[in-house]
Amino acid sequence: MATESGGSEFVDTFPDEAAIIKASFLIAFVSLGIGAFFGLIQALHRTNVLRVIDSADYYTLLTGHGVLLAIVFTIFFLCGVFHWAVARSLDRPAESALFSWAWVGLMTTGTVLATVAILGGLVPNLGMSADVLFTFYAPLQAHPIFYIGLAMFIVGTWLAGADWFLSYRAWRQDHPDERIPLQTFMVLTTMIMWYISTLGVAVSVVFFLIPWSLGLIESVNPLLTRTLFWYFGHPIVYFWLMPAYLLWYTVLPKLAGGRLFSDPLARVVFLLFLLLSTPVGIHHQYLDPGIAEGFKFIAMTNTMFLLLPSLLTAFTVVASVEHGARQRGGEGYLRWLGALPWRDPAFTGMALAGAMFAAGGFSGMINAGMNINYLIHNTLWVPGHFHLTVGTAVALTMMAGSYWLVPQVTGTKLYSRPIGLLQVIMWFVGMVFMSNAMHRAGLAGIPRRTAEPQYQNFEFLTPIGSIFELRVQIALGGTLLFLSVVLFLFNILLTSLGEESDRPVDSYLPEPLSGPEGSPRILDNLAMWTGIAAVLVVLAYTLPLAGIIQNGGGLFGGGLPVPATVSAGFDLVLTTVTSAFNTLWGVVA
Amino acid sequence: MAVDSTAEGAASSAARVSTDGGVPANADSQGDSGQADPPVDSIVGTADDGIVRELGHDDFDPVGTLVLVLIYMAILIGMWVFMYFVEFLGRGLTVVG
Amino acid sequence: MEIHAYEKLWLALALVLIVGFIGTITYGAAGAGIDMIDDKGGTVDPATLDQHPKFGDPGIERNGENSYDVYVVARQFVFEPGTTEPLRVPAGSTVTFHVTAADVIHGFEVVGTNANTMAIPGQVAEFTVEFGEPGEYGMLCNEYCGSGHHVMEGKIVVMEQEAFDSWYEQQQAQGEAEN
Repeated sequence: MATESGGSEFVDTFPDEAAIIKASFLIAFVSLGIGAFFGLIQALHRTNVLRVIDSADYYTLLTGHGVLLAIVFTIFFLCGVFHWAVARSLDRPAESALFSWAWVGLMTTGTVLATVAILGGLVPNLGMSADVLFTFYAPLQAHPIFYIGLAMFIVGTWLAGADWFLSYRAWRQDHPDERIPLQTFMVLTTMIMWYISTLGVAVSVVFFLIPWSLGLIESVNPLLTRTLFWYFGHPIVYFWLMPAYLLWYTVLPKLAGGRLFSDPLARVVFLLFLLLSTPVGIHHQYLDPGIAEGFKFIAMTNTMFLLLPSLLTAFTVVASVEHGARQRGGEGYLRWLGALPWRDPAFTGMALAGAMFAAGGFSGMINAGMNINYLIHNTLWVPGHFHLTVGTAVALTMMAGSYWLVPQVTGTKLYSRPIGLLQVIMWFVGMVFMSNAMHRAGLAGIPRRTAEPQYQNFEFLTPIGSIFELRVQIALGGTLLFLSVVLFLFNILLTSLGEESDRPVDSYLPEPLSGPEGSPRILDNLAMWTGIAAVLVVLAYTLPLAGIIQNGGGLFGGGLPVPATVSAGFDLVLTTVTSAFNTLWGVVA
Repeated sequence: MAVDSTAEGAASSAARVSTDGGVPANADSQGDSGQADPPVDSIVGTADDGIVRELGHDDFDPVGTLVLVLIYMAILIGMWVFMYFVEFLGRGLTVVG
Repeated sequence: MEIHAYEKLWLALALVLIVGFIGTITYGAAGAGIDMIDDKGGTVDPATLDQHPKFGDPGIERNGENSYDVYVVARQFVFEPGTTEPLRVPAGSTVTFHVTAADVIHGFEVVGTNANTMAIPGQVAEFTVEFGEPGEYGMLCNEYCGSGHHVMEGKIVVMEQEAFDSWYEQQQAQGEAEN
């Protein structure tokens, strides 16, 4: 028991794991710094406040911003948190440190390759670019090393997952009858979801985009690669979110001075994410031609039910925090909020991130509504939404969590608690400005992903305030967010250079108020849940994908026919099932 | 230990909060040499130092949480109705076929 | 498995909320008559778009009283029609758009309205809207399509019926003269 003996912190008990976690965090934070800098340039450029780049280069930086923040920062940080959580909750080191370094190395190599391809776009006449944004929809084409880097990165995450499953298997041999410790349960369910969902992007990249970018095949089917992207593109949202949830469920209650309200419900929530994260990707394609309305309706129904685990999380996590406040002497219906440790940047950052997530949840509900999606599709509303979710719920939780986690792996005390507090509040304020303005700008019809604030043929109109005011808010918010990242990196850098301390943080985690013992053991039957998740994916995707291949010019576009034998039998199945869907839809509508 | 999902025992939890409702007994299990007890909330994660009473599973009803989530739900419903029926259906050029 | 009574209440409310959301969307589809972009537009070969009977010379076509088809091709970085010359429609008409892309994925958004679709090479987005009073709408590409994405825009002009008719007849006459 790490906490029983003085000075026995994570870094002392698990030095090899601490080194892996430090490496993962280092790459995550370097990516955060570069990505945030690009974000600052974009915020000032598209609001016409300060222009240091050409508008054509805006998209190079935007690609870098998306890839470095949404893929590299989040996932490397996830790897660090998960590696910590598995070693900590199983109380055993990884099976092989060499293997752990292998996935760190592979993911890092992939990151470097993809980043070089992206930044190559800034160098004229280099002949290398990847201005395809983080969604890399074909037929926009990137240099092959962008796709190859991406593939290496994803294979690296698969190996990381294998690392944690191997730890679990070894632990299981020693503890045949115990419940899976909660943090490990969260890691394993998240990784199963990731294995299922990355299959889509792996097929897209390995079978279509890499051969196509190398000139081995002439064309791709744009709707097919786009659908395969979103098959992976929505679950990645939950892949970002799950480390934040892990911290909210297992660390935030402790930071509040309380205990987790319910362990079994936490398990149920993670299982719901495993089941429902993947068969929803088509909700990013509500306005795509070539996909029948019935499939869109199914994706919407699944998406709406995916609200359930997040709404349950809101209750369980807030109740755990309330428990802390009551233990600290809080009273009343809402006055207890004042009894929380607001001076602790780790607590305050996570609490503010959670509050922002509640707001982001609302704009996500609009995105998820099949026909109301017309209102906001591809407008600035959408980045307004995901800067609340991945950009705050995830990023701010990760930064706040770092104030508590980094000292555990470096063995040094946080350099400055007040700077940390200022940093998380600055992020919150900056995001309030930027995100609310983005949402409103989206309702005015201002598109996302564009370098210019104004068009020639028309003016954007907003019912309240003015477009100018929205631009000022976006520029101001973006600047505050960048400064917040600078403060964060500065604080973490000085922390890691600081003197060693016997007790860098209070790392003890209390047990839940309601433990797993009363919950059905079937919750821990990972094989069964994996099977159900796979069946749901097959149900949600087989027919849309088959339809896209069948009608949209074959696997590779350009009118390659599907072999007649396949197509005849397939037609029958397709007609039957589509008519069944249509009938069902007719009844519903 | 089968009941312990975070791999740390209930015993250590009890040891960290004094039962007389008074001063938390947090620092005494630490082996810090030559360091004074840190002031309350001085380092990250020391909210436990401010605990004045221990509430077990049966002593705690999350009524404040219920109030908060009900307020949240009222906001959600109000905003949804506004966004759908005013912002969305109130606009021109809606796709009807 | 023990769940606190308050959390059970919240769970029930959450389910009601979810069902309410799905119900609202279903009302929008069935009651308010909002249709989704789907696969009814069919497919087209993007490589031979120039020879396509409709997309080869995209524009507006009368298909009944007060009812029109509009064919739009999105390509880097123009809408045809829309960018070099405005897309003209008569006031008070029902217009079915057929939108496709010639090169990469584009977006087609009539600014400040609910007319919004993806334009994907090989696919045709088909949707119908009703135009009211005479006036102007802006249109823009809302899916990143390359380094000139931000200049991809256009205009829809909703004309008085008579003005539209004379313009339309002139167009028809020109078309026949060219053939």
